[in-house]
Amino acid sequence: MSKLFKKGRLIGVTSLIASTAILLTACQDPQQTGSGGGDGEEGGNGGVAEDDLRAGEDVTSIPIDGQEISDGGRLVVAVNTEPGTLDPTFNGTMQMRQVAEPYCEKLYDLDDEGGVVPMLATDMPEFSDDGLTVNISVRTGIQFADGSEFDAEAVAISLRRHFEEPESVRASEMGPIESIEAVDEETVEITYERPFAPVAAIFADRAGMIMSPDALEELGENFGDDPVCVGAFRVVEHVPQTGVTLEADPNYYDADNVYLDEIEFRVITDGSIRTANLQSGDVHIAAPIAAQDMDEIVGDENLNAMQTASLGNHYFQVNIGNQNGIGTDPVQIETPIAENPEIRRAFSMAIDRGALVDSVFDGWYDVACSPIAPNTPFATEASDDCHEYDPEAAMELLEEQGVDIPIDVEMMINNQPENVRFAQALQAQVEQSGFNLSIVPVEGTTLVEAQREGDYETAFQFFSGRIDPQANVNNYLETGAASNFSGYSNDEVDELLQAAAATPDTDERAELYGQAISMIHEDNPIVYLYRMRNLLGLSSDIAGVTYYSDGLVRVSHAAFVEDGD
Amino acid sequence: MGRFLLTRLWQSAITLVLASIVIFLGIRLLPGDPATAMAGEDASPEQLAAVRAELGLDDPLFMQYMAYMGQVLTGDLGRSTMHGNPVIDMIGATLPVTLLLATYAMVIAVVFGLLLGVLAERQRGRWPEWFANGAALIGLSVPNFWLGIMAILTLAVGLSLFPASGYVPFRTDPLRALYHLTLPAIILGASVMAVIMRQTRASMLETMQADFVRTARAKGLSRIRVLLRYGLRNSLIVVVTIVGLQLGMLISGTVVTEQIFALPGFGRLILDAVFTRDYPVIQSAVLVVTFGYVVINLIVDVLYSVINPKIRVGGGR
Repeated sequence: MSKLFKKGRLIGVTSLIASTAILLTACQDPQQTGSGGGDGEEGGNGGVAEDDLRAGEDVTSIPIDGQEISDGGRLVVAVNTEPGTLDPTFNGTMQMRQVAEPYCEKLYDLDDEGGVVPMLATDMPEFSDDGLTVNISVRTGIQFADGSEFDAEAVAISLRRHFEEPESVRASEMGPIESIEAVDEETVEITYERPFAPVAAIFADRAGMIMSPDALEELGENFGDDPVCVGAFRVVEHVPQTGVTLEADPNYYDADNVYLDEIEFRVITDGSIRTANLQSGDVHIAAPIAAQDMDEIVGDENLNAMQTASLGNHYFQVNIGNQNGIGTDPVQIETPIAENPEIRRAFSMAIDRGALVDSVFDGWYDVACSPIAPNTPFATEASDDCHEYDPEAAMELLEEQGVDIPIDVEMMINNQPENVRFAQALQAQVEQSGFNLSIVPVEGTTLVEAQREGDYETAFQFFSGRIDPQANVNNYLETGAASNFSGYSNDEVDELLQAAAATPDTDERAELYGQAISMIHEDNPIVYLYRMRNLLGLSSDIAGVTYYSDGLVRVSHAAFVEDGD
Repeated sequence: MGRFLLTRLWQSAITLVLASIVIFLGIRLLPGDPATAMAGEDASPEQLAAVRAELGLDDPLFMQYMAYMGQVLTGDLGRSTMHGNPVIDMIGATLPVTLLLATYAMVIAVVFGLLLGVLAERQRGRWPEWFANGAALIGLSVPNFWLGIMAILTLAVGLSLFPASGYVPFRTDPLRALYHLTLPAIILGASVMAVIMRQTRASMLETMQADFVRTARAKGLSRIRVLLRYGLRNSLIVVVTIVGLQLGMLISGTVVTEQIFALPGFGRLILDAVFTRDYPVIQSAVLVVTFGYVVINLIVDVLYSVINPKIRVGGGR
């Protein structure tokens, strides 16, 4: 009988399918599978024990430390968002900072303690006595990736472009600059209209990325198509929404300490899928790792975990006076929570930040009390001080205000799942103290637009954070500042913030910011909630990686470690 | 025929113009604009105003529309506000990925749908039928996104059979390209496969119990010959109809699949452009899709009219 599905034929069909699968499997790139399998014990997680890692101890470096390394290889790094244009003048995304790390060095960089150190500069900025002139000395005798010479004139050209181009998104970060000139081959002089302290910190970000003048002349506004800077790697290809491929740059001044041949930044937006790709060996580094996946990474012997406290924060913002949009004068909003600072204080007291972080993020994030991160030189007792959680006292305070309880409050949030989960937990918590919090989830750009236009009552939002507190505090709380979406205005706070931004001395600045934050804690236009930790997972056969508080994984000097077996 | 063709061409042009207006106005109804997305989280009002002026977003909508259409008619789809790349290059790079993925998914859906359908019919009441029905149930009812994550966890992470992400252009290495697309294509094609399997099974059940099949068997035709020549052939009519109906759905389904497997496709391009309010990319990408549909409809109409001249309604004799 010729039955199609007689046993033998069924086996034949199955074999055909199986052999096709095996044939396709055989075609896979061996480098894209298997994570190399280090032991993940003694050297695992940068030598930090799992318990300490869970307790929040930073792992900022997984050094090579004399291990046998392979010369060459292609490193695949999974990142969570598309970097956008690769032109540092016009890029407004956080991810561009990450992708640019290997190909576009800055005048300054961070160190493992959150301090600023010279990179393409040779020393810290020198301020004149009146604080209006700043000299920056820069490297000489090094080359851009196109072979052209790097000098002070090249630096001045880049800085002027960042500051003067009409579409530049760097201009507002760079302070009140009057002029930028190269005074000799190795010194750039910047003149300010008024004293501006955070010079080094600003140039440790995209405003400090220096571009090849030859490439700028050739490509003009299309520089992002083929960016040329000084870096360990140079750009080969950028496929939007997919990733960026880099190759080692032989012109790099420290090329002897560059071990990889290629780096691919691959955009994988979903956190769980990024983690799965790391576990399958398809990517070697995944950054960031979602808090809920972190336990899995830490428990995997083929993987290492790194973490640092971040500079950013998630916050609850109240629209107090932003009635007509940013750039207009504050006009009091007439809702109970906008009009009465005591109600906002009660809201803050109703929040058990620690419990929220533990329940929603498995304890992998930290509570936030102010815009100044505790791991920076600007942190003080005042900036680390939170309103104590006391739901009964919060309810009493609310009752004293003579308002109808519960108070209805509408909170607009970005509709990302992690945000929704946190918002729901927050909603449940403040309900006990008399707040009826309704959640309005919207897409990210819509939320930012609503904040800018003043078209919201309260918002749950996030700021990625900057090295210098000027961007984290002044930009959000000074009257009329670009991101003062609350429409908050307090003359005394303004005076303190302006003085802090103009003072070069770190301790003095910390003291001034501390005083300002004590006053802000009275007014509570923004209630700070939690601070994400920068969480990263990487294959245990990768070393030479550093990870600092700006959340950028530095892979320029990374290498594959040889299997010791 | 000439007049009919001219009428249809004219109607198609009107459809395209109307569609372009709807697309143009539709994306501007969304809150936020490219300047909001481009300028970043701490942009000042002055900076936003400068970006808006540079992009021409301050101009009246009519002027913006005319400027855009002027560009389109000269073959220039503009540059992405987010990436700075020419939009035509971005579409050219991503569209083939999506078409390849959708085609591969359809092939998998048809092959496995037919196999499982036949299997279910021939093995009624036994485990192969339960297996086929279970597979169809999963394909139909489980969302692509969850199915994709599960497939990555089991087939990529657990068994290391397939890569969890990554893409190799077909021209560079066809085998590796297919290897990288296999898992996404299975996930994308799962629901279509389920529909084909169920239709094939139902159609086979009906056909194999028909009188002519009994007659054919009585005349001595082997069971396999009857199955292939009569049973499967009749089922193929249904399958071809389903393929036609589901192809559009399959292409729209690539948006999710491309996102899960980090594939550089057209769906991902549009999705990302919507999030960043990249007007030139959204407008042009949707216009290209509309153009595709209009052209296919035009071809089908013309073919119909060639096959059956009575169809040339209002198009002359």
